[in-house]
Amino acid sequence: MSRKNALRNVIAFIVCAGFLFCGSHLMAAGDPIKIGFSGPFTGSLAFNGGEMKKGAQLAVDQINSKGGLFGRKVEVVWGDDEAKPEVGVAVVKKMITRDDVLVVGGGYNSSVMIAVSDVCSQEKTPLVVAVAITPTLTERGLDYVYRTSPNSPQFLMGACQWLEKERKPKTVAFLMENTDYGRDGEKIYSALAKKIGAKELAHLYFEIGDTDFTTQLSKLKNLNPEITFCIGSTTEQALIQKQSKELGYVSQWLGAGGHFTEAFFNMLGTTSAYCMGVSLEPTLAMKDPVVADFVKQYEAKYNGARPGIFSGQAYDNVMVILDAIKRAGNPTGKLAADRDSINKALKSTSIKLTQGTIKFDKTGQVVTVFPYVVQTQIVNGKPELNIIYPPEKATGTYQKPLPWNQRKF
Amino acid sequence: MESLFLQQIANGLIVGSIYCLIAIGLTMIFGVMNLSNFAHGDFSMLGAYFAIYTTAYLSGWFGWISSMFIAAIGVGIIGYFVERTMFRPLMKRPTDIDVIMLSIALFIILENGAQLIFGATPQMVVDPFQSASINLFLFQTSYIRIFSFVLAILIIIALQVFLTKTKVGVGIRAASQNSKASMLMGINVSFIYSLTFIIGSALAGLGGVLYGTIFAVYPTMGAMPTLKAFVITIMGGMGSIRGAIVGGIILGVAETLGGSYLSMQYKNSIGFIILILVLLTIPQGLFGRGKRHA
Amino acid sequence: MHSKVTKIILGTIGVVLLIAAPLVITDRYVQHIMVLSGVYVLLAVSWNLLTGFAGQLNLGHAAFFGIGAYASALISMHFHLSPWLGLLCGGLVASIFGGLLGIPSFRLSGPFLAITTIGFSEITRMVAMNWVGLTRGSLGLYGIPPLTPIKLGQGTSIEFTTEFSAYYVILALIFIIVYVVSTLHRSEFGLTVESLREDEMGAESIGINTSHYKLAVFMISAFIAGTAGAFYAHYERLISPNMLSTGVTFSIITMVMVGGIGTIWGPIIGAVVLTFLSEGLRFVEEAINLDIRMIIYGVVLALVILFMRQGLVGVLSGLGRFISRNPERQT
Repeated sequence: MSRKNALRNVIAFIVCAGFLFCGSHLMAAGDPIKIGFSGPFTGSLAFNGGEMKKGAQLAVDQINSKGGLFGRKVEVVWGDDEAKPEVGVAVVKKMITRDDVLVVGGGYNSSVMIAVSDVCSQEKTPLVVAVAITPTLTERGLDYVYRTSPNSPQFLMGACQWLEKERKPKTVAFLMENTDYGRDGEKIYSALAKKIGAKELAHLYFEIGDTDFTTQLSKLKNLNPEITFCIGSTTEQALIQKQSKELGYVSQWLGAGGHFTEAFFNMLGTTSAYCMGVSLEPTLAMKDPVVADFVKQYEAKYNGARPGIFSGQAYDNVMVILDAIKRAGNPTGKLAADRDSINKALKSTSIKLTQGTIKFDKTGQVVTVFPYVVQTQIVNGKPELNIIYPPEKATGTYQKPLPWNQRKF
Repeated sequence: MESLFLQQIANGLIVGSIYCLIAIGLTMIFGVMNLSNFAHGDFSMLGAYFAIYTTAYLSGWFGWISSMFIAAIGVGIIGYFVERTMFRPLMKRPTDIDVIMLSIALFIILENGAQLIFGATPQMVVDPFQSASINLFLFQTSYIRIFSFVLAILIIIALQVFLTKTKVGVGIRAASQNSKASMLMGINVSFIYSLTFIIGSALAGLGGVLYGTIFAVYPTMGAMPTLKAFVITIMGGMGSIRGAIVGGIILGVAETLGGSYLSMQYKNSIGFIILILVLLTIPQGLFGRGKRHA
Repeated sequence: MHSKVTKIILGTIGVVLLIAAPLVITDRYVQHIMVLSGVYVLLAVSWNLLTGFAGQLNLGHAAFFGIGAYASALISMHFHLSPWLGLLCGGLVASIFGGLLGIPSFRLSGPFLAITTIGFSEITRMVAMNWVGLTRGSLGLYGIPPLTPIKLGQGTSIEFTTEFSAYYVILALIFIIVYVVSTLHRSEFGLTVESLREDEMGAESIGINTSHYKLAVFMISAFIAGTAGAFYAHYERLISPNMLSTGVTFSIITMVMVGGIGTIWGPIIGAVVLTFLSEGLRFVEEAINLDIRMIIYGVVLALVILFMRQGLVGVLSGLGRFISRNPERQT
């Protein structure tokens, strides 16, 4: 009985594999131009992944509505990496070897993207990372690997300058997401604290998915630092703010980017006042015509939803990819050659997008994008993000957090 | 007068009471039906979404209070159908592995189904107290937390009264002690099973509203309360409501004190470590009935 | 007589097909999925040994997978031990932890053991997340050396960096491990182990030291999972604490349940079918632009438990019996 089943097993296996195998295709002129885009579209980061997808889709739609590239439609192959490196690798291998994508874009988690960058450089397929922040990703110097978003030191540079030149805190504390994202930021802020001689009162952590932060906040309240560094995603950040209000904890919160999403403000309302971070939130630089146009189109496409930082970054990411394809010339269908010429074109990228003008250094890291230091300020009873540093970009002036019972909103 | 230690104890007690509310449903269902439901926390998630939609149409206090009723009733009804169509056919299976696996399947379906239907965006049930806080001299907390704490205690008392003073309640307790004997005594065990599952699910739904008001609502929110509820019920002794209450308090306080004074990184492991220690010394749990092999 | 000959013939054809498969299927993505399904075969076989045969409900199996992977990766990165020996080391380290987790099983079963095992895997995951100096935390370990080439005399050597060659390594591992497990299953040891599942009290009453057997099964099962983890680490060359999460355990469980729990072939079929199914569903998702993969996974699991207790193996053997009862159908 068992051997018979073995055979059946094998047959089933072959049939299964056969289904996947057939339908392989060569790209011919006139066929759509395919690019891959990976992100965490399900699971606990699905919200952020969804924001990315919306931004990327907008970019592709814009190009397609203008007739595509070289008269050919642009098609995105979405890959749900579930925020897991091994899934990311499988997804990207599929894009490269089966879907014949020219470039892989997207990418949220650093751990996933490090795994994926190995695959892409082996396969000689350009990888253009949209969000992942760890410096390691480009510092390894792999060819074919680019990043359209700032790495963590670049990301926090503005905040560090602001602390050093303007805020000059004496005491600081850390409440960080226990991931590479939080810990990278912790290292940078901690180095700055040492540089300016601020006393580090506590290094606390939380896990993704934690809901109760009263333990950490009570401890912080007891230590009473001037600045509390807090890096994490929307849900945890919102809960932390809400619970600080409940416990009456007042401190200048300073995070990284990413959590100032529409959902964050919807959940917190005025409770989000005085929170600071660094951001590339596209809505901030509305005076910039490129950004204003992006925000307008985004709101029109998604029923008035405000674009978040990830929508903007994903939009830029896809635009950089399409720009490189355009400059590399109409893809011939010979994948290896097409990918190589796109790789060459990527190196000389220079395009003005929502985050600023994007140019890469020789490691493939964008060197021209620096987030602003922002603070949530209440205007007419509504939270608004204002740029407070650098001074030449500022849309508001820094406000020192008031104790909760003295807040008049 | 405020001290960190007392503040942390208070934090732990309040969080523990919400864990309790979710854990009591789990322990009741286990006690009566010998059924470990790993999707229990996802019933809380459903309850929280009921509240989100209710408060979107009915504002203020009225909306919030009615959302609790709607969540309890709605999740109770869902629980009834789940019990009838999914768990009931498995009651005769020789091992409890099947039931546990099925509940894991349910967990996967509910979590991912919720993402598909409700979307992944985190939300909060509007807090009728607007997260106003209160200073009780020894510690500071919010009205909503105090309210939830009191409500959890009231619900637990009401449940105790129901189980000891009403005929149906006594039937539930009898079935939980010996279902065969109670069947011989003329108790409709099938009805008792359904009722227990409905009450357990409704409590989870109610707990979900409180959880979603104090914390946040998102599709994956159920996983953490499920694990905590299991730790609590097993620590306290499965099937014992008293055990769930004591277990909830122990877990809440141990997590806050352990996180505060031992290691914040391992805060979430503390419950498991205590659990393993308890199981190695008193396998039936603190208030268990000496039934180690379920 | 007749059936034995058929069995041998069919078996040989099966082996030949498995060996020839990557020569025919040259699509590297499919080859990658074949290797992954091989890793899952080992995990499913080892979980089935512990839960299907011995009845010890383990919901923390991913911990053994991850421990094996981290152990082998760290040893080969820091002590430059050959990854081939790393496969063995990963298995051994995991088996030590298997022994540790086996101890609570002497006194616990069902949901009690299940929660203890979840706790165990969550604690290991926390350690992998927090011991940043050793494990690089959530970023994971990258730059793990691949399996070293085997030199065949001068100039020629077999490299193990491609999906193609990795397939043969995992295939060999599967042959060895499935052979060992099925031999064990038929042995007296196997019978005793199954008696643990059926009637533990009875086994104890006839003088069987159930603790020893439980410990042995936990250690063997963990060893297999650890070896799978070690192979995986040197194949993907990147591992992260995510490997230790309950989600991985749930995938393994689904595979075994769908294939047929408590059988030799069930976990193997289940692992291969579900790995391909979940990849195949990606194509469906692309077409309809909805993320339904996990929901389908859950629904399949629920349906199998409710209506197909024996899994695919049950269906296939039922089909087999049906065909052999109607010999005229074949001619």
